[in-house]
Amino acid sequence: MLASLRPPARVRRALIALALGLAMAAIFVADTMTEYAVAAAVFHTAVILVAVRWFSPRAVVALALACIALTVVSFGLTPAGLYSVGLVNTGISILAIGITAYLGLKMVAAQAAAHAAQARLLQIARATSLGALTGSIAHEVNQPLAAIVTSGHACQRWLAQQPPQLEKAGQALQRILADAERASNVVTRIRGMARGEAPRRQRFDLEEAARDMVALSRGALDARGIAVRWDAAPGLPPAWADRVQVQQIVGNLLLNAIDAIDTAGPGGVPEIILSLRRPGPEQLELCVTDSGIGLDPAVQAHLFDAFWSTKSQGMGLGLTLCRSMAEAHGGRVWAAPRADGRRGASFHVSLPALRDNAA
Amino acid sequence: MNGARVYVIDDDASVRAAIEDLLASVGLAAQGFGSTAAFLAHWRQADGSGDGTPACLVLDIRMPGQSGLEFQRQMQDLGMALPVVFITGHGDIPMSVQAMKGGAIEFLTKPFRDQDLLDAIQLGLGRDRDRRAQAQAQALLRARWDSLSPGEQAVVRGVAAGRLNKQIAADLGVSEITVKVRRAQAMRKMQVRTLAELLRVADPFCGTYTAPP
Repeated sequence: MLASLRPPARVRRALIALALGLAMAAIFVADTMTEYAVAAAVFHTAVILVAVRWFSPRAVVALALACIALTVVSFGLTPAGLYSVGLVNTGISILAIGITAYLGLKMVAAQAAAHAAQARLLQIARATSLGALTGSIAHEVNQPLAAIVTSGHACQRWLAQQPPQLEKAGQALQRILADAERASNVVTRIRGMARGEAPRRQRFDLEEAARDMVALSRGALDARGIAVRWDAAPGLPPAWADRVQVQQIVGNLLLNAIDAIDTAGPGGVPEIILSLRRPGPEQLELCVTDSGIGLDPAVQAHLFDAFWSTKSQGMGLGLTLCRSMAEAHGGRVWAAPRADGRRGASFHVSLPALRDNAA
Repeated sequence: MNGARVYVIDDDASVRAAIEDLLASVGLAAQGFGSTAAFLAHWRQADGSGDGTPACLVLDIRMPGQSGLEFQRQMQDLGMALPVVFITGHGDIPMSVQAMKGGAIEFLTKPFRDQDLLDAIQLGLGRDRDRRAQAQAQALLRARWDSLSPGEQAVVRGVAAGRLNKQIAADLGVSEITVKVRRAQAMRKMQVRTLAELLRVADPFCGTYTAPP
């Protein structure tokens, strides 16, 4: 089910430009051959509507002007009909072309803004929750540490006195031990938190859930011209997992893939491949492969460490959380270089599936 | 280091206890509070500025309720001239700039070196001691000045403005002898021996002298 065997964007765009040119020529001929009463020129609006989706605003404006010019020329060449009717029809056609181009461009701009806002939202949701989390963890652990250090200094000073104040020093040591235990409790609590609440399992279509996340990242993908390919094995069973958590995992892997492609810079075809297979009867595996910078062995060793990141703005928790969420399902997350030998990395997630497909 | 008091405000009981103990180990009396509100209640009840003991405040920045920086502003509004040493878990630069602009002695990041905290506290206590001594001297002079009769004050004002005894006598409509007597009285009451000394201590109270036409 290789859903995208489409030609690259540049070739597609050239083909569309050719088709539009032919359509404009046909409309021009029809407009000229028929009499004034037939306003064939309004069909130029269809050309504009197609162009808005594929070409830059400047090109669309140029195309609209060309359509208007053709309409005027055709008006001059048309041999038959009532002149006044022709004049009115030509005016209507020109207005229609102009308004269509204006509204079309407005719509595209609004769509782009919506995509950008969506992408930002996704990033912000990720960054702020993690930022707040790390801030409060740092504070929680730092308080007992500060108390331990200060009590340690106090203890030293009690011991250095002549004669040494052993009782006071002992009390300080007691406080140190209590605070150390408190710090350790904080760490235990964080571990429990990272494991998260027990996943709320439900049956759902893994591909559909993943497609939702791709749609959410659409703005970021389109802005970089990243092609998304799907490679799903046929007849996959539904997943048996917490849909929201799985989508968080997929979303994280997608953002990482986009970042990796950004870091790699231009050169090569930017693409992300999502493949789905069934390695065992009760198992599903989702794989996100990118054409990014790939995995340095030194990087690979730390990928899943908490607070470790290759990104300057990164919190270093994305993959850590992905892994703990997958493990809460009895699944796994792991990384590997691309299997086809090209530059890039593959991130695999294994998840439980329902055995009985018909259930 | 007798007769000094250190107040410690931190919401964390063990940090508080540790600092109190550290200060006790160098012979400093410390008193801990869990919030700025608790400290303020104590301060108002004891009328902290009243007794002459120099004091210093060790103030945590990040606390539930009022933060340390907000309390620093409130102290200024209330006219509390207590030196402040800030301690914080994670201090950023804008925070420390704000604290130092507000007149803080020091801005320490937890965990801090004991000597850094003790040095900052000593500096704060020293400043508070100087401020109190100055305020006390000022209050004493004010009391002496207030003990002068209006006539004596008028003569001193005239002298401070550089008028001759003769001129002052004319200004006030009294005899030159009276002016001399009042001047001597004023010097005795202000406890100064020379005219120059009188002018120096009385200057803050004299204001501008306007001779009657």
